[in-house]
Amino acid sequence: MSNPYQPIPATIIETHDETPNIRTFKLKPEREIPFLAGQFVELTVPGHGEAPFTPSSSHFKRDTFDMTIMKVGRATSALFDLEAGDRVGARGPFGQRYPLEKFEGKDIYIVGGGVGLAPLRALFLALVHEIDKYRRIFLRYGARTPDDIVYKHLLPEWQKIPKVDIDLSVDVSDERWMKKVGVVTCLMDDIPCDEKSSIAVVCGPPIMMKFVNQKLLDAGFQGSNIYLSMETNMSCGVGQCRHCRLGPYLTCKDGPVLTWDQIKDIENPFV
Amino acid sequence: MGEYVLPKSNISQWLSKLLAKYAVYVPIEVEKQVHWHLLEPRDLEKEPDAITPAQRRIRASEPVKSFMFQPRRQVASFPEPFTPEVSKPRVLLGIKSCDIAALKVHDKILGEGEFKDPFYLAQRKNTLLVVADCPEPEQSCFCNLLGLTPYAMEAGDAVLSVVDGNWVLGVTESGKGLVDLASELFTELREGSSELARRDEQRHTALVTLNMTNTKPWNPDLAGAVAAKLSDTAFWNKHAETCVECFGCLMGCPTCYCFLLYDQARDAGVDRTRAWDACYEAAYARVGGGANPRAEFVKRFANRFSCKFSAFKTDHGMYACTGCGRCLKSCMGKIDIRKVLGEL
Ligand SMILES: Cc1cc2nc3c(=O)[nH]c(=O)nc-3n(C[C@H](O)[C@H](O)[C@H](O)COP(=O)(O)OP(=O)(O)OC[C@H]3O[C@@H](n4cnc5c(N)ncnc54)[C@H](O)[C@@H]3O)c2cc1C
Ligand code: SF4
Ligand code: SF4
Ligand code: FES
Repeated sequence: MSNPYQPIPATIIETHDETPNIRTFKLKPEREIPFLAGQFVELTVPGHGEAPFTPSSSHFKRDTFDMTIMKVGRATSALFDLEAGDRVGARGPFGQRYPLEKFEGKDIYIVGGGVGLAPLRALFLALVHEIDKYRRIFLRYGARTPDDIVYKHLLPEWQKIPKVDIDLSVDVSDERWMKKVGVVTCLMDDIPCDEKSSIAVVCGPPIMMKFVNQKLLDAGFQGSNIYLSMETNMSCGVGQCRHCRLGPYLTCKDGPVLTWDQIKDIENPFV
Repeated sequence: MGEYVLPKSNISQWLSKLLAKYAVYVPIEVEKQVHWHLLEPRDLEKEPDAITPAQRRIRASEPVKSFMFQPRRQVASFPEPFTPEVSKPRVLLGIKSCDIAALKVHDKILGEGEFKDPFYLAQRKNTLLVVADCPEPEQSCFCNLLGLTPYAMEAGDAVLSVVDGNWVLGVTESGKGLVDLASELFTELREGSSELARRDEQRHTALVTLNMTNTKPWNPDLAGAVAAKLSDTAFWNKHAETCVECFGCLMGCPTCYCFLLYDQARDAGVDRTRAWDACYEAAYARVGGGANPRAEFVKRFANRFSCKFSAFKTDHGMYACTGCGRCLKSCMGKIDIRKVLGEL
């Protein structure tokens, strides 16, 4: 019987600094981890523990995968001390994928904040890989300052893809910044898609998710069409340890992406 | 189910036969409390029926889950994968009805989901369960309020009743071997035999005792009632007032299954341990960066009730509580879970 707690070795083959505290790690696992956009992986930083992260690269190429990670505490700080050639551990994939079949033929309105663009990148790349299946893709992304924007080198490329529309904002600008200034909801004043049928996908810090979700509801989006990445504490990742309980759900098993309809009755879901 | 009587004079002979094949755990009394004890040959040299009295007592202090889902055990290593040692087959001789019911909770979580715990399942498969009647339920017992009886409803591999100092053993298909390995020591009982009649009488008396201790039935929709009360902070605060957050109620609880995986560096690698965790712990739900959905204790207190009596019932069709009473006996703040549930 397979052991769900046992990680497999994965080698860091490349790192890329996105911002002063966010870095993308390209990993080559000993065996392919068959993830789909939305699912996550438990990463072992040898000797410093484990933490859940969502692959940020396309699930159409899985011999290597990327994770874009913000340095916030114990495991992530230890990870930032590692370099190309070092070995980490990985278990997964865990959780549910985005139900892409439900997105077909529709406008997809993606809203990200900060490092929250990382999981959304896996979704974005999966969508553009089969772009004919979807109507249009909107990406709205906010970061604290221009320096805090992740995938700076990729965003201009993405903007060139037909049917893709990208807009950015920063909370605090500098003299180089030519786009909007304000929290990400300032990009949502006129949403250029049909609110009744379009899909919204949101990932970012809890407070941002709360306001973006409200704005989407106010704009007329259906609760069943708003997909939210819920971050909870996790330990096992496999629906046993109960650390990730969110109302009636275990986010590692039922999530980490849940729709607003699923979580709307939970008291204060965005903590 | 085949039913047999093992006369008191044959008990130690049977136990020594068992010892040749199994690691045998029996309840013993230490300072009035019942504890599990690994039987050793020298225990049998004492008075032949010395271990009988503890079989009549209620469940041991240690929850039975400790045998399959150990408080702390290694579950992985890195970079080389971990292979566990295989342990000798075991017999838990004298678990109680409430504890076999509690194992069902662990079966569901660790043994039946998409991901299974191979360590739990190996230990579970490796262990024969003999469920002993509780002829004398104590004040802390309330299995009856949870739809259980103070004797086996779920037979496990065998059931044991002490009748006038002799052991009456009922064995199911999986427990037949327990009698077969020394069948000369047993006498088969026929339906209507006086031993079985005495046993049934004892069982009835035990039920009456429980019904007298726990008279007030609960809200029949406990799951709904707990869910509806969840945000009533005043209610939970009132009951949580004397809690000192020692987590004794959770560590002793036979159904609680929360755990934490943690890693320790070792030579060139890492050992991963799975350890029991407590949902009352302040950092239990804290996420990276420090945000915490249950930062106030009262939320964690209410969460325990919602987990056991609402979520588990909704997800698995049973309460994650068996009425064993360990939590109230261990509580320094004298919080009685019956009282909390009784007010719902
Ligand atoms: C499904 C999912 C996907 C995610 N994807 C990404 C991603 O793509 N990119 C990204 O950057 N982040 C992601 N995150 C967030 C990421 O998992 C956390 O930032 C990470 O766990 C932080 O780990 P840390 O050890 O560095 O942080 P810490 O803050 O040190 O620790 C976090 C964990 O340790 C516990 N802890 C901390 N201190 C204590 C203490 N004193 N006592 C007990 N426990 C303590 C916390 O309760 C928490 O469980 C994701 C989270 C989830 C749930
Ligand atoms: S909650 Fe208390 S009474 Fe119920 S199973 Fe746990 S320890 Fe026993
Ligand atoms: S709660 Fe019931 S089954 Fe458990 S020890 Fe007490 S009487 Fe026996
Ligand atoms: S992380 Fe263990 S149950 Fe979800």
